[in-house]
Amino acid sequence: MVRTNKDRLIEMAVGGEVWPPRITSPYRPNAQGEAVVFMGTAGIILNARVGDRAYGWAADHVEPGVSIRNAQDGPEHALHYLACIGNEAIVTSGEAKGAHGVVTGEHAHIMVDFEPEVMEQMAPGDQILIRALGIGLEFLDYPDIYIRKISPELLEAMRIEEIGNGKIRIPVAAEIPPYLMGSGSELGADYVDQDMMTNDRATLAELGLDNLRIGDILAVKDHDHTFNRGYREGAVTIGLINHADSYMTGHGPGIMDIICCASDKIEYYVDTENRPNLANYLGIGNSKHT
Amino acid sequence: MVATNQDQLITMSVMGVVISPSYPGIPAVPHQIDRDGKPRLLPHLGGIVYNVALGDSVYGWAGDNIEPGVAIKASDAGANQALNVFACVGNIAVIMSGNAKGAKGIVTGKSGRFAEHVILHFESSVLEQLAFGDKIVVRAYGVGMSVTGFPGIHLKSMSPDTFEAMRIEENSGKLTVPVSAIVPPELMGAGAGLTSESGAICIQSMDENALKRNGLDTLRLGDIVALQDVDSAWGHGYKKGSVGIGVVSSTDSIKAGYGPGVTLMMTAPGGEIDPMVVEGTNLASLLGIAGARD
Repeated sequence: MVRTNKDRLIEMAVGGEVWPPRITSPYRPNAQGEAVVFMGTAGIILNARVGDRAYGWAADHVEPGVSIRNAQDGPEHALHYLACIGNEAIVTSGEAKGAHGVVTGEHAHIMVDFEPEVMEQMAPGDQILIRALGIGLEFLDYPDIYIRKISPELLEAMRIEEIGNGKIRIPVAAEIPPYLMGSGSELGADYVDQDMMTNDRATLAELGLDNLRIGDILAVKDHDHTFNRGYREGAVTIGLINHADSYMTGHGPGIMDIICCASDKIEYYVDTENRPNLANYLGIGNSKHT
Repeated sequence: MVATNQDQLITMSVMGVVISPSYPGIPAVPHQIDRDGKPRLLPHLGGIVYNVALGDSVYGWAGDNIEPGVAIKASDAGANQALNVFACVGNIAVIMSGNAKGAKGIVTGKSGRFAEHVILHFESSVLEQLAFGDKIVVRAYGVGMSVTGFPGIHLKSMSPDTFEAMRIEENSGKLTVPVSAIVPPELMGAGAGLTSESGAICIQSMDENALKRNGLDTLRLGDIVALQDVDSAWGHGYKKGSVGIGVVSSTDSIKAGYGPGVTLMMTAPGGEIDPMVVEGTNLASLLGIAGARD
């Protein structure tokens, strides 16, 4: 087991409420310049969960499960910066009060997976508390490798091996080339995600990247996301697909950076036997599909 | 001469005012975090920048994404959106108030998501007379322009004057466009996924070897560049075979994912543009702009 400082982390509550979708103009242009009605972010999505496909929904940037945010700016950013994938969520008001879920990602909203019978009882405005644990998590023996926004439990489930020479090896569902990394480059890497660009379907098919699933753990080649997100030869960023595909140019499934290194300390391999996916690792969502 | 529909275009005034640079207040952490994690306090974006002009190198300045010359913005969000979408590279800008009233300059580019400024070139003698709040009208001329016989090519932020000056030729069903360099798709950074009607897309400069290998280590403000495999018809994104053409509008950045900003002027998602590298292809010499560096 790779040694970490997990016993030194603070467990702190952050919170938000189930957030309804909002739209202004119903239409936005897709990559072909056609007007499309965008639906997918916010709200309660009963039929797309981690483990489900990232492509093929008649929707844009689908945020699986329940999307929450905090109406106040400061607490909202505390929610964004402190909640970690794998953290426990507890419903504290409404019909589903007392039910438990798991944080699956951060996008425009924090996404939480609950069982369908729980989601059926939920409504916008219901309060959700998250026991945030994971910020500050570090490898004790690998100072050049940076961990971001995952719970110690998820890190331990990721089957990370120590392979000597100061390196670790991580199984992934796929490798993403640097030229497919798009929207999100303009944001700090401690905030939300960076989308893959999926406008070029032929390239996706050629690279075998057209069957990805929400929750897949991926390696982005030659990308350093230690501080902001950018191209650096030899760097590796390990990410997790937090939302589904998009109609928009320069967008696609969102990749949340979870482990990265500016140099060559991370090795990875594509595991086709036991799919590296959040749903499998934590036994949540539609893990039966993965 | 490649024909356009320029006789159908409207010339319309849009206006902004000369803006101050802006920094966050307390708790007094004004730094940008550089690509190696080092916090640095540097001049960022614009305002009035006296000593960086069109023709200067984009590299080596102790600044971050500096907008050469003058940056303007409209205070009303809708009016600023109009300014940023309608202003075209090469349009005339006229100072309407203050000590430099009546002086004329030229639009050289735009800044992206967190600035939304239009960047203008004026001669040094004019810059010295400017103050914040001075009103500047841009005679917006170019939105709606298309290339006759090339329905797949989209023009954005492109004035008829700039298009005519770019020495574009038609060869075997494609347009040959002289550029100073070609940017490979893995170096396209901040701006991907955002609008291509305004703003900029950065050439990522974190990897110096990649810059050198692609001849991008000598870029100058105003250089015309091609973006390989980038489709900018409806936002910027990767598509193999697509070609974009833009102008380098702001200097390098210290941040990962960022670098010199490019204002997009042409895009051919179907590849109907052949970029041709001609060293020194720069907006300043193409338009004969006075006050630019040689």
